[in-house]
Amino acid sequence: MAPPSVTSATISKEPGVYEDEFVHDIYERIAPHFSSTRYKPWPVIASFLSNLPAGRVWTIGLDKSLNLLKIAKNAGGVSREVVRANVLDQPWREGAFDYAISIATIHHLATHERRKQAVKRLLQSVSPNHGRVLIYVWAVEQDDLSKREIPVDELQPGGKDVFVPWVLPDPNADKTQVFNRYYHMFAKGELTQLVSEASEEMGLQVGTKNSDAQTGIELKQDGWERSNYYVELHRWSI
Amino acid sequence: MVRLITHNILACHVKGCTSNNFPLQLQGVQIELREAEFNPEFLKTFLPKIEWKALVDTAKEARDTSLPLEQPEMLDDEFLKNLHHVLLEIHIEEGTMICPNCKHNYPISNGIPNMLLAEHEVG
Ligand SMILES: [Zn+2]
Repeated sequence: MAPPSVTSATISKEPGVYEDEFVHDIYERIAPHFSSTRYKPWPVIASFLSNLPAGRVWTIGLDKSLNLLKIAKNAGGVSREVVRANVLDQPWREGAFDYAISIATIHHLATHERRKQAVKRLLQSVSPNHGRVLIYVWAVEQDDLSKREIPVDELQPGGKDVFVPWVLPDPNADKTQVFNRYYHMFAKGELTQLVSEASEEMGLQVGTKNSDAQTGIELKQDGWERSNYYVELHRWSI
Repeated sequence: MVRLITHNILACHVKGCTSNNFPLQLQGVQIELREAEFNPEFLKTFLPKIEWKALVDTAKEARDTSLPLEQPEMLDDEFLKNLHHVLLEIHIEEGTMICPNCKHNYPISNGIPNMLLAEHEVG
């Protein structure tokens, strides 16, 4: 039997309610299987992490899914700090972090405004003087190796809303269960545009540190890797 | 587990609650003490990032009074060991964190703090 394919999605409800049904509820149910299929970070992320000062980093994981957090807390026999919260909220002291990483999360938010809000929260969570942020989202442009067929019938310039199936094996029966997760697949340039809008609304100048502005962000990296777009942002202040 | 180094950055984010919303007060907490490897370099890196008064007050709520009211200038071994214990060895497993301003309750269950708000409470 051919694996279920990626299909177009239409956001038919209030976005928060829609995300609960097509993102959060699904991850709560597939958490152990989903987690067992995560092996190692992608190269750009591994490189970002390897540049942090070894032995002097305190890492805190944030997710909305309690079941994923329970796994993250002790995965690989390492004890970690995790916090249950929404990426649209700010449950911390502003600027408390030196680094923030958001991997494969923002593409689960159902509107442009909500995705921009999540970028703002990341920028607010790090130091205005030296904070660094790495963001990774799914791209419309897929790797040949991903084996995913993306419907190209109605390519939207602002990205594409799709359902991506998750096939959950049932250990007690010779059958599977399919969950359709909502994704917003980013168009080329859409992530940097989102970052520019978020920065502008926060009064941050986009560009290298200069004396014309009090505070800003520099786009250190902007690329595509294995079906994802990513950006690395550095905050600066005079 | 919520350790006090993590608690030191959590703040209330209920809509309109923007002042005196930190630190969240511990109430009815179950604490476990677990030994962690002593790393003075780690502690020296984090000392400037800690909100000191909040840490001292929260440590008291967790029944630890080993920290001085003011951050000392000389970081001797005794101080660093006390700081190490407070930041990294006290684990809050169960209980509630209460906003000093709006009194919102954030529960901690199985060592996981729940900072989620209801839709109408979100700012
Ligand atoms: Zn409050």
